[in-house]
Amino acid sequence: MTIFPIAYSVAMSLNEVAVSANGFRLLGMTGDNYAVVLGSDRWRYALVFTVAYTVVTVIVEMILGTVIALVLERLEAGRGWMMALLLMPWAMITVISAQLWAYVYNGVYGVLDALVTPFLGEVNFLGTPATAIASMAVADIWKTTPFVAVIVLAGLVMLPGDIVEAARVDGANPWTTFWRIRLPLLRQTLAIALLFRVLQAFGIFDLPFVLTGGGPGTSTESLALLGYRVMFQDLDFGLGAAVATTTTVLVLLGCLIFLRAFRAQVGEGD
Amino acid sequence: MTESHAPARRRQHRPRLLTVSNLGALLVALFTAAPLYWLVVSSFRGPLEIGAAPTPLPRDPTTANYTDAFAEYEFGTYLANSAIVSVASTALVLCLGTLAAYALARLPLRGTTPVMTALLMISLFPTIALAAPLYLLMRDIGWLNSHQGLILAYTAFNLPFAVWILRNYFLSIPREMEEVAWMDGASPIRTVVSVILPQARPGLFTAGVFTFVACWTEFLLALTLNTSDQYRTIAVGIALFGSQYTVPYGTVFAAATAAMLPIALLVLVFRRAVVSGLTSGAVKG
Repeated sequence: MTIFPIAYSVAMSLNEVAVSANGFRLLGMTGDNYAVVLGSDRWRYALVFTVAYTVVTVIVEMILGTVIALVLERLEAGRGWMMALLLMPWAMITVISAQLWAYVYNGVYGVLDALVTPFLGEVNFLGTPATAIASMAVADIWKTTPFVAVIVLAGLVMLPGDIVEAARVDGANPWTTFWRIRLPLLRQTLAIALLFRVLQAFGIFDLPFVLTGGGPGTSTESLALLGYRVMFQDLDFGLGAAVATTTTVLVLLGCLIFLRAFRAQVGEGD
Repeated sequence: MTESHAPARRRQHRPRLLTVSNLGALLVALFTAAPLYWLVVSSFRGPLEIGAAPTPLPRDPTTANYTDAFAEYEFGTYLANSAIVSVASTALVLCLGTLAAYALARLPLRGTTPVMTALLMISLFPTIALAAPLYLLMRDIGWLNSHQGLILAYTAFNLPFAVWILRNYFLSIPREMEEVAWMDGASPIRTVVSVILPQARPGLFTAGVFTFVACWTEFLLALTLNTSDQYRTIAVGIALFGSQYTVPYGTVFAAATAAMLPIALLVLVFRRAVVSGLTSGAVKG
């Protein structure tokens, strides 16, 4: 059920697809779709944007999430409530957070505009490519950093306390204990969080769809958004499937690299 | 910086309020909660206030947005659609997932772990890779604009994760209990229902909450498969509300607040189940 559609999608991208009132027909093998897709500037931009966006947001989220988890671990009370609060953005419909941030960023009556203008002058958050990308990243980081923090915190709590205790008794300062002992022990937890996030980020769709509409221009158009537009707005299923397939290939590559790195790590570590 | 302590140890002295970590936690809480606060508060602002300079609290609180969202617009229908699809998918995933996971945990099958891992990875794939073929499939069997089309897709996508979670639970249940049930002449299904399920309840909660949240928040498939108003889910309804030039934010936020309530309650109640699900990947299956 999951494998079949992917295979069919690949088949579709390799075919000339005719859309008519009575359905779709695959009109034989062709590489044209890929020639068109790989040759188009719009696809190249979407590819670069998606990869760069994924790398930047995921790195920020992983570091912030780990720091937050370390801070929360030292809380003496209220950790359960913090966990619950952190799970709220994760469980929120992305579309809702996108609408919310669109309102916050609004150039006329947005609350952020009101807060920032006295210090920086007028900032048109969603109006220029650079600020739109940054604004989208902030919305993304707000929604998904808590998810990383919760995973890492759960991992921290599960660490064997005696090892950390032993290091402390031996006179290691907290900093050394963290880098030398706890971080290596957390490796698997971090890897899981990283995998989740990278896979999600590559397929990012709903946030730009609502927040920026891929704009201004096509500056925040991700691969998934481009694929959707080509397929369901221009009704060019062959081309759209080719775009979608490039996304799949990207994710597969990511998975392979990840598994390789992970195996190597585990091989030498444990 | 104070030294960190193993979480298992209880401190005896009175907790100090002003520590670096408490301040840090407060900041995190504020940053997380502020947008949520803004969403809920803004849902009580009238149309004039929504478009005026922002104030911390509504100057003139009104419930007009809620009446609009549910009387004037179709948000009630969208919520019902989301509820139907999410509940049905979750029930299906739990039933099928239990049987599949039990088989995987108990039958002497070789090489299940690589297969499971591959399935898990695929279920995390970007939905766009599946949107077009699923659209065609649903069109061919006449399930576009229906509940069952989304239910079928959601069940398929969420099954691998549920099977993964449940299998880990089943593996940790001692076989002796089942053997006793066998001796007493219970059928395999009976054994699962009366011996295994009570023990695997935390696993069922975890798989259930994850599936429900995934279905409730899914957007791309709901957008492409169900285009008619009658079958639209709440996520799509909220995304497509308004036009290019004006978005009636008050109404959107009222609907959004209503859509967040069930999920927020679910997460609060099953907090532990969610956390254990997030870390189960780190436990070798």
